[in-house]
Parts: sequence; structure tokens; C-alpha cells
Amino acid sequence: MNATTPIAPLYAEGLNVVPSIEDGVMHIKITGAVEMRDPGEILTPYWNKIDEKALERSLRVVEVDLRDLSFMNSSGILTLVRWITKAKGHAAGKSYQLVLQYDRNVTWQRTSIPTLAKLAPEVVVPTEING
Amino acid sequence: MTMQITPVSADYVEMRFGPRWTYISCVRKFVASFFMIGLADKERAEQVSMAASELLENAVKYASEEEGYLKITIAKGMNEVDVCVKNKAEAHNINTLRRELAMIQAGQPEQVYLRKMEEAAMTEGQSRLGLIRIIYEANARLRLDVNDGEVSIHAIFPLEQL
Repeated sequence: MNATTPIAPLYAEGLNVVPSIEDGVMHIKITGAVEMRDPGEILTPYWNKIDEKALERSLRVVEVDLRDLSFMNSSGILTLVRWITKAKGHAAGKSYQLVLQYDRNVTWQRTSIPTLAKLAPEVVVPTEING
Repeated sequence: MTMQITPVSADYVEMRFGPRWTYISCVRKFVASFFMIGLADKERAEQVSMAASELLENAVKYASEEEGYLKITIAKGMNEVDVCVKNKAEAHNINTLRRELAMIQAGQPEQVYLRKMEEAAMTEGQSRLGLIRIIYEANARLRLDVNDGEVSIHAIFPLEQL
């Protein structure tokens, strides 16, 4: 099956976010770095749109590939916290699994991503993928 | 006139610059590269540069507008690496920082970090996760010195953990 684009990619201040849907799974590839002063201004509305699309299409899995994200500041991490909190609040039958793919060779990913998963172990699946 | 030269270790960096957000990324990358060589430990170098970045972000956000610079020094001593960011700040921001530091140092780091994430998700505004992130993710300890309106915040990495 061919991949489709659920919403337009986001290109902003050294950051690229490219979503696609294939075989009932939404993949979001993030590259660059999140180190702008207020990443919530652009990322929180974007994660909200992703969340709405996932619910609208009754997706069960949203995979976020963070491996090529070289750095994320604490304000960027907060945007993921807000997304996780929102996903955690969905009714059981409508919720999706948020798979956060990370590279253990990138220090911030190895420490931050498993910690984020502790906020909502029933929703967030940290997945270590090397290379 | 005599000129006094203060000896510094080989692994020492000092930078002073205006509080512009766009410099932070550049400093973070430089610190990571510099300490990758000095410490020969990629993980520790990235932790030191993350701490430098988070402290500089706070300094830019909360620095007094009257004083147009901030200073970062990073020194590797015998037993520790000390990342220090210094800037002038208003009294109310210094008090907020003191309270914040006392609160995050009082609890178990992981529990404090998760609790602050949950609190931050429920409120608008700044994340205030930077300091606890340094303690929890980088295993550093923080120290605050205040002298005549000048704030020095240190993130100290013990070398025995290397």
C-alpha cells in the first residue's frame, strides 16, 4: 500500500517533521534540532493536528522517529509531555499507542525518551533502534 | 605595571556574550566538541553541553535587561567539571530561582522530574524543566551563588562517575 500524507510537513527553524500513513500506522519522521525559544508555539498545535488525524482515522499506532533529532531543549520536551498527556486522556476504545523510536547512541534520547514513557506507560512505547 | 596571568587548566572555556537566543545553539555545539576532546567521553560531553544549553536558556529568559551580557565558564578540575553561567538578574527572579532550586533538590530526582512534567503540562507558560533535567538526566548537582544582583549557577559533574 502506498503511503499518504495526513497533514502537511512542518519545516521550521532547523526542524523538519514529515508525517505519513501506511498500512494503518502513522509515521512521523523528525530531523534537525528543537532549540527555539518557544517550540510550543509551533509544535503543540502541530502535535494536536496529528492527534486529531489519528483519532479521525481510528489509527491504533503513531510512530515518532526521533533518531535524527540531534537535540531537544526542555521546552521541546514539554511539547511531547503535553501530547502524551492528551493521548492519555482519550477513551480506551479511541486511544492509540505512541511509539517513540530513539537511538541509544544519542545521549539526550537515551535519557529523555524512557523517562517520557513513565508518564503514561499504557500509551507510550519507547523503542530503541540503533543505526 | 605588572600583568598578572591566571593559570588555567587545558580543559577550560570562558565566553562572554550578549543574551541573544541564537547564540545558545552555537555555544552548545562548541562545548560538546571541545569536551569530546577534553573528556574523551561522548556521553559526558553531551551531558555537559546540554547543561550549558539549559542554563544559558534560563539566563537569556531571566537576565536583567539593564545588563547586556552573560558569561559561561566550564572548567575541568581534578575531580569535577564545573559549568557556570553568570548574569545579572532582578531580585524577584533570583527569589524564584532560589525557591525552584530548593524544591527540586529536596526530592528524589526522577519523581521530581515526572511531577514537574505533569504540572507543566497542565499550565501555560515556561517549562521550568531545565534545572531538574540537568540533575536527573545528566547526574549533575546544582549550586547557586548570588552576589550583589549577579547570579552564578553551577552544574557540577563529578569525574568519578566517568
